[in-house]
Order: sequence, then C-alpha cells, then structure tokens
Amino acid sequence: MLTAGHLMVTVFPMPDKNALIEMQQLMLRYPAGKVALSGVSLAISKGSFIYLTGESGAGKSSLLRMFYGGLRPTSGQLSVQQWDMRGLSEGDVRELRQRTGIIFQDHKLLFSRTVFENVALPLRVQGWEKERLVPRVRKVLEFVGLDDRLWSYPEALSGGEQQRIAIARAMVTNPPIILADEPTGNLDEDTARHVLDLLMTLNNNGTTVIMATHDLHLLNSHPGRVIQLHQGSLVGDSHG
Amino acid sequence: MDERIKEMPEQINPRLPGGFQLPPFGIHQFLALIIVCVALWALGSVWLGLQGAQQWVGSWQENVRLHVYLPVEKRGDLKELNERLRSLDGVDSVRQISREEAAVWMQGWLGDTSLNVSKFAKQLPESLELTLADSEHEFLFSDIRDEAARFGATVNEDEVQMANAHQLLQSIRNLAWFATLIIALAMAMIVSNTLRMILLARADEVHLMRLLGAKEWFVRMPFILEGALLGGGAGILAWILLWPLVLGVSDWTDGLSIDLHPFVLLLPLLAGGAVVGCLGAVVATARLVSPDSVDQ
Repeated sequence: MLTAGHLMVTVFPMPDKNALIEMQQLMLRYPAGKVALSGVSLAISKGSFIYLTGESGAGKSSLLRMFYGGLRPTSGQLSVQQWDMRGLSEGDVRELRQRTGIIFQDHKLLFSRTVFENVALPLRVQGWEKERLVPRVRKVLEFVGLDDRLWSYPEALSGGEQQRIAIARAMVTNPPIILADEPTGNLDEDTARHVLDLLMTLNNNGTTVIMATHDLHLLNSHPGRVIQLHQGSLVGDSHG
Repeated sequence: MDERIKEMPEQINPRLPGGFQLPPFGIHQFLALIIVCVALWALGSVWLGLQGAQQWVGSWQENVRLHVYLPVEKRGDLKELNERLRSLDGVDSVRQISREEAAVWMQGWLGDTSLNVSKFAKQLPESLELTLADSEHEFLFSDIRDEAARFGATVNEDEVQMANAHQLLQSIRNLAWFATLIIALAMAMIVSNTLRMILLARADEVHLMRLLGAKEWFVRMPFILEGALLGGGAGILAWILLWPLVLGVSDWTDGLSIDLHPFVLLLPLLAGGAVVGCLGAVVATARLVSPDSVDQ
C-alpha cells in the first residue's frame, strides 16, 4: 500500500519488439508555452497503415514532426525505429531522416528543378551514383504513373500529379516508414483516392504509413488504424 | 514506356543540388563578380605601382651614396671634415673625389664634348662621397648636415631626398597593406551579401535537403564553392584587366627604366580572391537555420 512517504515513480512497460514507433506519456510543450501534446501513449507496429485524425491544432503535425526529429519531446518516452528520440545526436537525426519518407500537404517540391531532379534528391543526399540513380528514379516514377514527365517542371503538373511526385520522392530510397501530413488536403476526391491507392500499395509492400488527415470518408475505401487526437491528447484508437 | 524517354537521362546532364554541385549562375553573382573584380583590379594597380616605384629607387636602396661639398677656400678643413663624417653612426665610408675624377665626371655630364673642362674642374668645390651603411638610421642626415655646416660645407639635398624615398615607399606600402585588408573585408562582405540573397532564394532547397537527412557540409558546400569561385574568378579577371594598364603606361615606364611584372600578381589575386570569397561564404552560411533543423 502506498503512503505519502513512498517515492512516486513512472513505470514504463517493456518495449514491444515489433513496434516501429513507441511512446509513453509523451508530452510536447513549445518554447512559447503552448502544450501541443500531453500524455500520449501508443505503439505503432511495423507494416501498419495509420490515420492520424483530429481537428486543426490537435497535435497531428507536431506528432509527425517528432517522428523525424523536427521536434524533441519535452517529457515522456518516444522511440522511433529503435532510436530514443530524447537523446538523439545530430548524426542520428540525419540517419533517421534518411530512413524516413516524408510527404507534405504543400508537397515542398523544388519548382526550379525538374521532376527527375526532385525525385533524385534523396538519393543524391545518400550519395547514390548517377548510374544507379537514373534507373531507380525512372522506376518510382513508373510506379506513380509519371514516367513520361521526367523532365517536366513541377509547375507544369496538376496538384494531384505534384502530390504523386512527392510520393515518388518519399519512396525513392525505399524507407521502412512514410509520414504523410495531410497529403490529400488540397486534392479533389478522385485524385485523393488515387494518391491513397499509391500509399496503400506501398503499405501492402511492407512500408509503414502514418498519415495525418481530415478526410475520414477515405476510410470507407481504404481501411486502417485510426488514432484520434483532441487538443493534444489521445482520445481514440480504433480500426476503421 | 516510350523508348525515347528512356534514353533522355543519358542525353541530359541532371543538375542536382548539394555537395560539389554549384548553384546556377545568376544576375546576383554576376554583379558581385564585377564589384569584386573592380576592387581587386584597384588593389592590383596599387601593388603594381609600388613595384614600379620600388624599381625606380631600387638602385639607391642597394648602395646609398651622398656627396658633401666643401668650398675651395676651406680646403684646409677637408681632412678633419672627412674624419668627423666617418665617425658618424650610419656612415660606412668616406672617400675624397679627386679633381681628375671630377673632371672626367664633368666631361661626361657635358656629353663628352671636345671642350676642355679642366679649367672648370679647378673651380669645383672639394667633394666627399659618403657611403651609408644604414640610410634609415635616425637623425643620420641631420647629423651629416650639422657636421658639414660646421665646416661651411653643403650636402647634396637631391641625394638626401632620393635616399629618403624608400622611407616614403615603406609608408606607402604600409598604407597599401591597410587598404588591402579593408578592401578584402569589404569584398568578403559583398560576397557574403550576395550569397545570403542566394541562400534566401534557395531556403526551400536547403530546408528540404535537411529534411532528407543531408549532412551540413553537403548543404553548405555549394555556397562555399561558389564564394571561392566568385572570388577566384574576379581575381583572374582583375589580373587580365591589369594588362591594358601596363601597356598603357609602357612608354612612361620605359623612360624611367621600369620593367613591370604583372605575372607576380596572378597568384596573389587568384588565391586572395578565392580566400576572400570563401570567407564571405563562411560568414553567409554561418547561421543557416531552417525549420526542423536538427539542433532545434
């Protein structure tokens, strides 16, 4: 029986060996004082397809940024791909990012570069030789159905095509995990469905996909695990 | 897939950012190149001018000689004056110039005419030639003047001025070094400013490379290289533009027996420009912060 004299300690459970991402009592407070996440505990297994949902400001994007080292936890535990995110060195963050594909709502494509150059950038960062790089880029562009736009500039493409280029860039290094921050936010329903088809295909090939989204109607055609956040707290975890 | 598309990568050389790939050359870089080139050209001109001035007074600096003249009627004091001058610090030796030697010199000075100068030579004052061990010795020329005045002798002031020319040159050289330092800093700032504008224009690219896990050297290297190339290129251009200047003043320099060597300025302008460009690039990229930087 605990008495007032006993020391209070937080006990974290043993890590799940199949988990790609694990967090316990995760808290994130921005320097300005705003609490973005509070007491979030969950585990994400390898090969799963996750929808992160919640209203704007619920903490979806903050959580995704923590998964690639863009933000550090204020307290609690977070482990991503076996890395403890609290004590990560700069070199570890770089290595983690090289093993993570990121898709943004605004694509973050380089408009002064061709489609080929945009998709090849992650490979160049990882030091791939041009001889290996060209066929790999062509292969992923074939996967997203844009191999005929190799030398086009992104501004000549539609919104859906730009998002497909962003998917190609995220998958080109064959990372074990893809983080997508509202990738369908600016797309019409048909195009969004097509983008989601691509992500599902990647997931079926073994890639873990975590996608922040508001488009819950997509769950009907593309089922997955739904993690719901509300004002920085975990309020729901179900399979849709 | 269309076979024509498959062959395209081999036909087109893709330009990927980062590492040893230079950013595209634009109007900002061109303007910076011109400004740095003009600054380096001005510096090169100053150092070339110093090179010419050095040659002009060079023979004097090698073996500085000074003449003291004693009126004929005071010939009796010649020996004592000789000894007093010899005893001064900074005077290496004192030699009396004979009348015959003076006559030969006068004959030559008059253009080796058939005129018999021996009569004139007899009217010349007694001449003592002083070889100076250290023309920079403090108060040396004042001491010589004082000793000469005590015996009613005079010093060749033109020769004093020439002997002092190297001191003036040294002062100019010091000023040139100071100007070089200031202009180098100004050039570094110009390069730095230019690269900061380019960095602002390419902030998305830098941010994206960091999100993809690029190492810092990979992100910064293109800008460092660009700074070095900009400075080095401006150095070579400035060196090339020194040649019209050298050719333009060649008639004048030939008359003064000055042989300018712009070749010696090639390496300093090239290396100096590159170093200054690198410095500017390092300053520009010192605080290259992106959202989601790993140090956040």
